[in-house]
Amino acid sequence: MTDNKFSKLSKNYKLSISNPKFFDAVKMLISILIALAITFVILCLVSSDPINAIVTILTGPLTKTRYIGSVIESFIPYAFAGLAAGVLFKAGAFNLGAEGIYILSGAVVTAVAISPVTTSPILHPILCFVAAMAFGGIMMILPSFLKAKFGTNEMVVSLMLNSIYAGIAAYVVRTFLGTLKRGGNSSKDYLATARIGYLYEPLRISACFLVLIAVTVILYLVMKKSRLGYQIRLAGTNPRFAEYSGVSAFKLAISTAAIAGVLSGMGAASALLTQTQFYTPSQSLVGIGFSGMLLSMLGRNNPIGIVVASFMIKYLEQGTKILYFVDKSVPSEIVAIVEGIIIMLISSQYFLRRFRERKLLKEGLEEHVE
Amino acid sequence: MWSNILTTLFSMRFLLTIIRMATPILFAALGAFTAASTGIGNIAIESIMTFSALGGVLGSYLLNNAWLGLLIGLLIGILTALLITFFSMKLGADAFLIMIALNTFADSVAIFLLYQITGDKGTTASLPTPILYTWDIPLIKDIPILGEILSGHYVLTYICWLLIIVMFVVIYKTPLGMRMRACGLNPDAARTAGINVERLQVLSLVLSGVFAAFGGCYLSLNYLKIFSKGMVSGQGWMGVAANGIANGNYLSLVLSAVIFAVFRAVSIIFSSNSAFPTDLVSAIPYFSVFVILTAVSIINYYRVKSGKVEEH
Repeated sequence: MTDNKFSKLSKNYKLSISNPKFFDAVKMLISILIALAITFVILCLVSSDPINAIVTILTGPLTKTRYIGSVIESFIPYAFAGLAAGVLFKAGAFNLGAEGIYILSGAVVTAVAISPVTTSPILHPILCFVAAMAFGGIMMILPSFLKAKFGTNEMVVSLMLNSIYAGIAAYVVRTFLGTLKRGGNSSKDYLATARIGYLYEPLRISACFLVLIAVTVILYLVMKKSRLGYQIRLAGTNPRFAEYSGVSAFKLAISTAAIAGVLSGMGAASALLTQTQFYTPSQSLVGIGFSGMLLSMLGRNNPIGIVVASFMIKYLEQGTKILYFVDKSVPSEIVAIVEGIIIMLISSQYFLRRFRERKLLKEGLEEHVE
Repeated sequence: MWSNILTTLFSMRFLLTIIRMATPILFAALGAFTAASTGIGNIAIESIMTFSALGGVLGSYLLNNAWLGLLIGLLIGILTALLITFFSMKLGADAFLIMIALNTFADSVAIFLLYQITGDKGTTASLPTPILYTWDIPLIKDIPILGEILSGHYVLTYICWLLIIVMFVVIYKTPLGMRMRACGLNPDAARTAGINVERLQVLSLVLSGVFAAFGGCYLSLNYLKIFSKGMVSGQGWMGVAANGIANGNYLSLVLSAVIFAVFRAVSIIFSSNSAFPTDLVSAIPYFSVFVILTAVSIINYYRVKSGKVEEH
C-alpha cells in the first residue's frame, strides 16, 4: 500500500517529459532561452559590445545591494497588478480595467495621505490602503457587471474607462489635491505619517513586501483549495459546465472583479506610500495595470508564478537601466521584447509538442521492449 | 463663450474636422468588421495601427517616397496579422491573449525602434519624411460649399471611403463575402458545405490588418505628418467598439464610427477653450464610446428579453 503510494508520488515528480508539469517547466525554460537568444541578436545589431551588454543585463542588478533593493521595491506594485489580472484571466474575464483603477486609486490614496486624519504613523498608511482597496474593489466591478448583466463588451468598456479615469484623476489631483510645485500636475507632498518606512533599509524591504507575500499565499490557497477558487477555475476552463453545475456566472463575475479591484488598490497604495510620496497622475502609476496582464500571462495565472515573473521582469529592467548608464544605444524598452517573446511562446500549446510526442513514443517503445 | 462654441459647432471647419477625424476610426472599424465577419474578434487593431504608423514614417524616410512608406506600413500590418494567425492557428495559442500581449507591448516596441533609428524616444519630428498630400478633385472643387466639403482632403480619406464601398460589395454581394459570413455565423456548417474556414479566417484577418495599417499610416503620413508616442490613443479601440455596436449591420458600423469622430472633434473644440478643464474634456470621446456601447447593449438586452428579437 505504502509502496504503491510512493510510486504514485514519485510518478508525480518524475523528471521526465511525460510528466506534464515537468514538460511545462522545460517549455518555460526553453522559451526564456529563445527570448534571451533573440535579445542577444538584437543587441548584436544595436550595441557595439553585445556580450558585455547581455552580461550587464543579466548580472548587473546583483553588483550592488542598492540595485537589488530597487528591484525589490519597484516590483511590488507590478506583482499586485499581475495578481489582479491573474484572478480575472483565470475566471475567463477580459476586464482590462486595472490600469484605470490604479490611476484613480492613486488619487484616493493621495487624498487620505495628505489629510491629517490621524497622527499615528501605523494607522495612517493602513487607512490609505483600506481606502484604496475599498474604492478599487467597487470601481472595478462596473465593466464586469455590464458584461454579466447586459453582455456589453467588457474589454472595450474597461479600456474606455481607463482613459476616462485617467482624465478624472488628473482633474481631481490638479484642482483639489494639487500644488503649484512640479509644474502644477502633481499633488501636495504626503504627510510624514503616511510614509511606509523600510524594515530592512539596504534591501528596501518594507511592510508592503510582507503584505505582498501574505496576499500571494492567501490567493494561492484560495485558488487551489477554496470553493470560490474552484468555481473561478471552472468558469475559466468551461463556463457552460460551470453554469450547469450551479455556479452563478453573475456572482462570480462580480466577486472576481471585486478581488481584482482590491488588489489593484493595494498595488497603487504600496507604490505611492513607499516611493515618491506625492502623486503625478500622468506619470506615477501609468502602465502598471497593463504590465500586470503580461505578468499574469508570464506566470500562467498562478499567483506564485506571477510574483516570480514580476520579480524577473523588474530584475531584467533594472539590468537594462544599468546598461543604459554605460551604453546609451540600448533603451530599457528592450525588456518588453523579451517579455513578449516569452509570453507568445509559453502560451502556445503546440510549441515543442512534436518534440514531446517523439520523446513519449520513444519512452513507450523502450518500456515495451523491457 | 457658449455662442463662440455654437458658431464653431455649426461651421464648415467643424465638418471638415469631423471628416478628418473619422478616417482612422473608420479604417479601424472596417478592420474589426472584416475580421468579425468570419468570426474572429480582432482586438489587435490598436497595436497594428501603432506598428504601421511607425513603419510608414520610417519607410517613407528611408525610401524617400511617401507611397513606398505606405506600402511598408501595409506590409507591417499584414505581417502582424500573420504573426497572430501563426501563433493562434499553428501553435495553438489563445488568439485573445496574443492580441492583448501585442497591444500591451506595442508602444514599448515602437519606442525601442524609434530610439534606435532617430535617437529620440518621443517622435519622428527630427526625420525629414516625405508625406502623402491632399487631393483637390478637378471640377468638383470649383462648386461652392459642396466643393469645399468633398474636395481637398487627404488622399487616404478618399481611399477610406472607397474601401468602405468596396468592402460592402465584397462582403454582401459576392460569393466570397457570403462564404466569409457563413464562417462567422456557423463555422461547422460552413465546413460541411465545403468551405475552407481556416483559409478564409486568415484572409479576413490579413485584410483586417491591412485596413488597420491604412488607419495607422493615415495618422502618421497624412494627418499628423509624424509618428509620436501614443498617437493612436484608443482610435483602434473605437473601431472595435463601433463593430461591437454594429453587430453585423454595415450602416450602423459606419455611423457609429462617425459619431465617435464627432465626439473627438467636440473634445478638441472644448479643449481649445480655457474655461473647461482640459483633463476632463480630453476624456469626452472615450466617455461617448462608453455611454453609447453600454446603452446599445442594454437596449439589446431588453429587446431580447421582451421577445422582440431572437438571440443569436
